[in-house]
Amino acid sequence: MTSSNNFQWRRDRDGLGVWEHRGKVAVVGYGHSPVDRRWDGVNLDTSLGAYTIMACEKAMEQAGVTIDQVDGIVCCDSHIAGGSGGSASNWAPRPYFDPPYDSEYGITLINAQWLINAMGFKNVRFAPTGVPTIGEMMGMASQAVGDGVCNTCLVIYPTGNLEGRYRRGGENADDFARGARQWTVPWGNHGGNDFINIFPHNQYCLKYGGEHDDLAPFVINQHKNGMLTLWGFNYNHGIEPISVEDYKTSRYILNPLRIWDCDRPVNASAAYLFTTAERAQDMKSQPVYVLNHSQHNFRFRTTQPDLDEVEMWTDRQAARMYEGAGLGPADVDIFNPYDGYSIMTQFFLEGFQWHGVKRGDAFAFYAGDISVKGPHPFFSSGGNLGNGRTRSAMYTDSIEQLRGTAGDRQVTVRAETALCAFTTPSSGGWLMLGKYQS
Amino acid sequence: MPKVIPVPDELSQPFWDAVNERRLVLQNCAACDKLQYPPQAACQVCGSADGLEWKEVEGKGHVATYIVIEDGRLNRRMPDQPYNLALVTLDQDPTVNFYSNLPGVPAYQAPVGAAVELTFEEVAPGQLIHEWRVAQ
Amino acid sequence: MTTLISFDIDGTLEVGDPPGCITLDMVRAAKASGCIIGSCSDRTVSNQQRIWETAGIAMEFTVLKHQLDAVKEQFPAEDYYHIGDTDLDRQYAERNGFHFLLPDVDVVQLWENGN
Ligand SMILES: [Zn+2]
Repeated sequence: MTSSNNFQWRRDRDGLGVWEHRGKVAVVGYGHSPVDRRWDGVNLDTSLGAYTIMACEKAMEQAGVTIDQVDGIVCCDSHIAGGSGGSASNWAPRPYFDPPYDSEYGITLINAQWLINAMGFKNVRFAPTGVPTIGEMMGMASQAVGDGVCNTCLVIYPTGNLEGRYRRGGENADDFARGARQWTVPWGNHGGNDFINIFPHNQYCLKYGGEHDDLAPFVINQHKNGMLTLWGFNYNHGIEPISVEDYKTSRYILNPLRIWDCDRPVNASAAYLFTTAERAQDMKSQPVYVLNHSQHNFRFRTTQPDLDEVEMWTDRQAARMYEGAGLGPADVDIFNPYDGYSIMTQFFLEGFQWHGVKRGDAFAFYAGDISVKGPHPFFSSGGNLGNGRTRSAMYTDSIEQLRGTAGDRQVTVRAETALCAFTTPSSGGWLMLGKYQS
Repeated sequence: MPKVIPVPDELSQPFWDAVNERRLVLQNCAACDKLQYPPQAACQVCGSADGLEWKEVEGKGHVATYIVIEDGRLNRRMPDQPYNLALVTLDQDPTVNFYSNLPGVPAYQAPVGAAVELTFEEVAPGQLIHEWRVAQ
Repeated sequence: MTTLISFDIDGTLEVGDPPGCITLDMVRAAKASGCIIGSCSDRTVSNQQRIWETAGIAMEFTVLKHQLDAVKEQFPAEDYYHIGDTDLDRQYAERNGFHFLLPDVDVVQLWENGN
């Protein structure tokens, strides 16, 4: 089987031109497990493994694809708390169960091999290890199908969360700061996109005017859209949309970052099914086409990225995506960037100039009508803030909007192209989807 | 509560040795004449490892912006909450920046734009870290 | 003299997410004994109020996690307690002059020993 290490799939440089497989790869299915706050450590029907199997079955069922037809599995095999979670993301040791739950795999981690065994896939010829996060996986699967490395590929993003507070303990409980942490932790920065983005966000407010709480209408709108997302955490757990007062009186985590600016870690799994545009014609679902994918991993020039760096990085992301898709800002109908922390979203909105929003314009844009039924249905998915930290809402909503199956979330404006991502200003990936092949 | 203690590695040992002598030395690429912090194996501009040398810099900077850590994840610093975390740019090259808790400045009262001077703080016997104090 | 007890919700009360070991009956008993009781949580105030409305318990206060100082200002009492399950509960309690207690069945001693 192919490993990700020897398959050149990344589009992570400037000036790569139009993607060679533009419109020739399709997404034909998706599936979501229930989204729980945590796994209780006991119930094997709600473990990350059980939920991943459920998500895969739903994605295949939607397209009418059977186990034997799947020949590619791209499964993120690291914990959602990821590298920055460090040892704090490990809850082990914990009790294990009978197979297939007799190791960490199936409980807090899933990899392709575990899934192949648990679900009985027999014809898989592409199942890379060391798979990155969903932001990049979508591009990896698109390129694999386009290049013919596989034909029918499942992309699986499991997001586990167990008892205890997320990223507490481990190296965060250590008296010593080792490796890269020696440059941040002695002063209190334990790492994470909250720290990375809050300083540029402050500089943004200083440079363009406005204040932190100008984010309130955006955060509130994310909650509203989340309540229209039937599989999401908020909808299923009665997390009512917050009011402006709720937002403005909420406590600070990293002042000015408030608790409502942060997403909620959850235990859930999502799966997407990719195939060639040609094969998609024979499947029972309506395909949406991949028009481009790109990745980025920009290096910090010093301790802390500043606003200039963040703006330069997001400008470059936008240029790569537009160039590869052969589209411009005015061509993008649905825009689902990332909101794991609300403070980073304006950088994407302005970098991609969606609906003409330029640098410094985001807060005024948020103050206008950004509802899904209005003229500027920004972030129609509700993102992580509206659905929990699944990092998948952006993709599923984009597919549904293009298919016209977004239900109460369906936008009233044209929905023929969609930009979606799991990304931060410095690293991640983007996907451009189209209702039509070109 | 004491701060978390940095553990020098091969690359950073000269940096921390200098800090322990109350000096701030940064990598400087001879070819590019560009300062670099935190230290890296090669110059981030030209990619050369050979041209990197340690250069003492003048401990003057400015507070670019700051946050207040109210609910952080570091056990050792929880009793300090809320505390300032400022972003300090180096006057000699403002594209180089540092974190600072701005010792002596009460939480929420960091003076954005103010000049700061290098100072040092002992975090463990014999181990100093570089800090910044508002200039008088 | 009066004892004031502030209850965190998630991880502390049986109706929390995750559920804690403090039952609503224990909360009722605290109230019946004459304690001033309320909740203090990261949930919105309206959500907290809905919980107490549903449970049929009249709370004296429903505040956000960082608002214990206002509770102390509003309600004179001899002793102030906050029952919660996280380091942050402890921090906010201690910063505002509340005794901090982890959710444990022993907390019933606060109101069972007479008030
Ligand atoms: Zn150089």
